[in-house]
Amino acid sequence: MSLSCHSALSKFSQSTDFTIALAGNPNVGKSSVFNSLTGMGVDTANYPGKTVEVNMATTKMDDLTIGIIDLPGTYALGAVSEDQWVARQAVLDGSPDVVAMVVDATNLTRNLYMVLQFLELGYPLVIALNVLDVARREGRHIDLARLSERLGVPVIPTVANRGEGLDELVIAAVEIARSQQKPQPQDLTYGRDIESLIEQLTTAIADRNLDDPYNLPHRALALLLLEDDAEFIQLTQVMPGWQPVLEMAAGLRSQIAEEHGQSAHTRIAAERHALAALIVDDVETREEGAELGWGERFWRWTTAPLTGVPILIAVLSLIFILMFFAGNNLADLMSNFWGDYISPTAKDAFYAVFGENTVTLSLTWAIDGFEAALTVGIPFVLVFYVLLAFMEDTGYLNSVAFLTDSLMHKFGLHGRAAIPIVAGAGCNVPAIIGTRVLTTMRERVIAGTLIVLVPCSARSAVIFGAVAFYAGWKPALAIYAIIGVLWVVVGLALNKLMPGESTGLVMEMFPFRRPHLKTIAKKTWYRFKAFVFMAVPILIGGSILLGFLFQTGYLFDLANLLEPVVTGWMGLPAVAGLALIMAILRKELALQLLVTLAIVMGAGEAVKDNLHVIMNDSQLFIYALVTAIYIPCAATIAVLARELGWRRSLSIMAFTVVLAVLMGGLINQLFQATGWY
Amino acid sequence: MITQAVEEYLEAIYKMSLEDDRVIAARLAERMNVSPPTVADMLKRLAENGLASSSRTEGVKLTKKGLEAAETLVRRHRLWERFLTDVLGLNWDEVHEEACRLEHAMSPQVEERLAEILGHPDSCPHGHPIPGTRGARRREKEARPLSKLCVGEEGVIERVAEEEPKLLQYLASLGLLPNAPIRIKEIAPFKGPMLVQVAGAQYALGQEVASKIMVRSK
Repeated sequence: MSLSCHSALSKFSQSTDFTIALAGNPNVGKSSVFNSLTGMGVDTANYPGKTVEVNMATTKMDDLTIGIIDLPGTYALGAVSEDQWVARQAVLDGSPDVVAMVVDATNLTRNLYMVLQFLELGYPLVIALNVLDVARREGRHIDLARLSERLGVPVIPTVANRGEGLDELVIAAVEIARSQQKPQPQDLTYGRDIESLIEQLTTAIADRNLDDPYNLPHRALALLLLEDDAEFIQLTQVMPGWQPVLEMAAGLRSQIAEEHGQSAHTRIAAERHALAALIVDDVETREEGAELGWGERFWRWTTAPLTGVPILIAVLSLIFILMFFAGNNLADLMSNFWGDYISPTAKDAFYAVFGENTVTLSLTWAIDGFEAALTVGIPFVLVFYVLLAFMEDTGYLNSVAFLTDSLMHKFGLHGRAAIPIVAGAGCNVPAIIGTRVLTTMRERVIAGTLIVLVPCSARSAVIFGAVAFYAGWKPALAIYAIIGVLWVVVGLALNKLMPGESTGLVMEMFPFRRPHLKTIAKKTWYRFKAFVFMAVPILIGGSILLGFLFQTGYLFDLANLLEPVVTGWMGLPAVAGLALIMAILRKELALQLLVTLAIVMGAGEAVKDNLHVIMNDSQLFIYALVTAIYIPCAATIAVLARELGWRRSLSIMAFTVVLAVLMGGLINQLFQATGWY
Repeated sequence: MITQAVEEYLEAIYKMSLEDDRVIAARLAERMNVSPPTVADMLKRLAENGLASSSRTEGVKLTKKGLEAAETLVRRHRLWERFLTDVLGLNWDEVHEEACRLEHAMSPQVEERLAEILGHPDSCPHGHPIPGTRGARRREKEARPLSKLCVGEEGVIERVAEEEPKLLQYLASLGLLPNAPIRIKEIAPFKGPMLVQVAGAQYALGQEVASKIMVRSK
């Protein structure tokens, strides 16, 4: 469930005894902590216009209900990127009783950067020092007591993916929350010149007794202004009395820039990193690390081009095979079972109770809609989600992104889009939900459009059944070639035409880690739930609507309306237009529907054995091509709408219809003009 | 007589002296992938030929004659690289090895003609200055874009282009800051991203991001 973030967060923290904000860098095991602590009920909240989500869930300790706000994983709190902004805003809005920060013991220096930011903001803090076992293997020994003393906050050792230390973490967090004990760090100060400037500004703020937007310590505000934080400068600008302070901050910033030859923001970031490094020097001793573990060694193979590219091709082929063949067979099996046993029984029961009339006949189409959801949902969506979560959790997704980035870049995407696009050849639905790994809306729209243009296994079945079977493999291949060319052209064009630029890739790379099964299971479940709640109602609703149009005969009027396009422009029989409309529900039905409708419209039973009765080879070619390009199926539309919004989803649909009609017509004209076929 | 082996040592010492004020024999052994006694033998030979001196306090130092010989080699190497990319159309990331082989078999006359044909370029395809051209020694110590570095090269971040403040600030929060040492571990095919090691972590940086990070030799 998606809620408006600000009110959702404050409501959430009011409904619990204590609220813990869970913070940390990406890939430090934060999601393992969150998933181990919480049960199945997770709410997500979105800030308007932002793609990064905040998760909320509760856990019990004794008889206390403890709310956990899972902030997005970020390297810092700030206003420079969406994830950093959302993380900070969620802390400010949620006003947690305590912040628990998960810190990666193998890279303490970088992780301490955000710890220092939290200390500056004055939040009560607990640190979960994670993967201490790995750090030890690498030869790093961290003095926990000394670290705790320096930072003035409790430090709890954890191994999150085995659930170790998490109880202690919650106990320590609740204790801090109860006592509202502020951190008492030991000499955490920056260089003397910077400190004196911070102090000048702090005093200026304190002296004026100004209202501040979030009740932050004066020093924190001074630092934010010195760091040229766009958000806070904007917020305070409109508040009474801040103008002189802002002017003073601007003056101090240029003073820093002049003295240090770098911008005030860079200087303060450098000071913070230097301080983090000093603390690490104080608390960590290092000896020669042990030899590389399996994770690191195999990981290196996957990033070195010479070995990585073959591995990538193998993995992508495996995904393709799993989705295309295994998924398809499983779907057929389920479909047959449904058609043989469940559907007739359900329909008979329904008619027995409510009688057989237009309304009930339309309603029973819902049973077919449910079948569509089932045969897409389990074999394709679930299988892909498990694969995706596994690749994310082990870190292989990053290797894929690294190797494919330059190719994807040509389409305005980056490497993380490669896996969903390949998965699209199995089924577009999970592929589109997979685009969540992309960070900007621009990338998601481009990726969504391109995935929709990848013929899924259902559409491939039509290409095989209509073209390869009747006209041979060469024309079938030609359809793929045409789609391939279209795909590249559309990708290049979107990259040119869409406003904005593709973002440069900056992605942390880390050696493979042992996946955490619970995290994979829960990730898969959340995504699957999103599919169920969004796609199933639309599939069922769409089926009933289509059923109604069919039973009342309005569908045939619609066919007449479309005749100029279908027959006049694309040279297909009118029945093809009907089949195309009905196939929106499920593309693999495009052939069966064609046969059924042709019989209804009087073509005779012979159609069953030979489609040539109603269409020649060139018509079958055009029919399959149009089927492959026009509107993705109802389930795809549903998830597109969920991921990109209805407006964007409808634009993509309209675009594919225009493209399909255009291509179908052009090829028809070409056939007519040249006399091919 | 300067053999190919001697030339390679001279080149290595030259490059190491740019990265570090004091060149240590043990590091030289690591770089050449040989044992310390082998390096000791070679250093003795270099000293006998008046090409280099070594002492405990000063480390390994090239003499004037040694420096000239090294610069000639580096000049030839980089001229070949230019030739291979500009004339033969090879990719800049595949010319280094070729140039390593070609640089040793070359007379001053050929070197002169090569420079002429190429229009006396002042830097190699990777952006390194060609010795013997204006300000080459000064430029050798200057910053160049991270995207021009090759796999295995190391440097120190000099600055990040300021025209994109958000990128600058984002990189700063990761520790990609001036004076941070940085090493290229891998480059993805087709001008893909670079895998760099910086501040205890590894990042994949797209080429356009890498081109905004200026790096100088260590």
